[in-house]
Amino acid sequence: MNCHKFQEVLPYIIETGGDAEEEGHLQTCPHCAELVQDLKYIATQAKLLLPMHDPSPRVWTGIAQALHHQGTIPEGRTSLRGQIMSFPSQAKSWTPMGWALVAVFLMVFSLLLINYRPHLPESQSSAQNMSAQPVALESDDQQLMARVSQRAPDVRQAYEDSLREVNTYITDAQQAVDQDPEDAVAREQLLDAYQQKEMLYEMATARTLP
Amino acid sequence: MTQVKKIIASGLTEAEAIERAKGGDAECFEALYGLHKRRVYSLCLRMTGNTAEAEDLTQEAFLQLYRKIATFRGESAFSTWLHRLSVNVVLMHLRKKGLPEVSLDEALEPQHEDGPRKDIGARDNVLAGSIDRVNLERAIESLPPGYRIIFVLHDIEGYEHNEIAEMMGCSIGNSKSQLHKARMKLRDLLKLSRAEKAARR
Repeated sequence: MNCHKFQEVLPYIIETGGDAEEEGHLQTCPHCAELVQDLKYIATQAKLLLPMHDPSPRVWTGIAQALHHQGTIPEGRTSLRGQIMSFPSQAKSWTPMGWALVAVFLMVFSLLLINYRPHLPESQSSAQNMSAQPVALESDDQQLMARVSQRAPDVRQAYEDSLREVNTYITDAQQAVDQDPEDAVAREQLLDAYQQKEMLYEMATARTLP
Repeated sequence: MTQVKKIIASGLTEAEAIERAKGGDAECFEALYGLHKRRVYSLCLRMTGNTAEAEDLTQEAFLQLYRKIATFRGESAFSTWLHRLSVNVVLMHLRKKGLPEVSLDEALEPQHEDGPRKDIGARDNVLAGSIDRVNLERAIESLPPGYRIIFVLHDIEGYEHNEIAEMMGCSIGNSKSQLHKARMKLRDLLKLSRAEKAARR
């Protein structure tokens, strides 16, 4: 089997594996092996992409207006925005401690944005790849998790998983900004990542504060 | 405190909010919007690659949800059901734009110049470990529409080829073939992006 024939059948065997002849070619041809490795890598990384974009508020406004015209939603409700997250029955009871945590978080975020490094040394460039595994929790995160464990142990794992995911998202977005500081999309995604983390902190704080 | 927060504070689960929304409870419907807007909008945006279209389609998906929620019987997860509804809204929109006018298989085929090159030739470094989410998102956005739809549905949203074939009205083989071409094209785009970045350093 040559490369041309192998690549003709590749769309049909890439997920299931080929027969002995096809597998044999893969063992002996580094070029086709590299191709298969790349295609599988792309598929794997695509599965890690999260829904990361929020619609603008005008989408809900449009929905509410349309429903209002149908007589379903009373007039004046178009300004409400759905903010429910995947943790039901959370009670938001803001206290000075809650606001302080959010303020600290926003300050850290601002410092990060101001102090980003436009160009990383070459030796660090190999680290600029997508993290297949979520990154570790930071010390602030660990403190938050400790509080959640104490007050609401049943949801601790959900919060921890979400924090790890959002930390990974922040790391990736930060790397993109580092690579190209003028990249508006990357900066927007970094902002979005920090907003997601802020929201998690708000929810966890509301749940755990007395 | 907004009405949505009252719903949360009152301890309603999503299932209870769905049941109330079926009965016409607008606040519970709004809460469901809040829960699912990000996933629906992200799907619309990735499939169309256009913010304005994605917003219109998100609006249409939730209006259809309002009209059809009474038919939700809980045979699948609500998010799965809504997701499928949203995919159908996007596909319907794309059909109206002319994707499957003549033959679905042909219409899904991108123009030759947009397609991936044959990969028989010089070796290059593997991609593994060299791409990040932002680059991948951008490359997906650059895919020709026919490739992008199949790639988003299969590799990101997790639909099987038989489900895609049913939704798209094409054969399973065609779905597999298009997915392969999409991944090949993405590989080209990602390698090009990597080379451009290396040249800038």
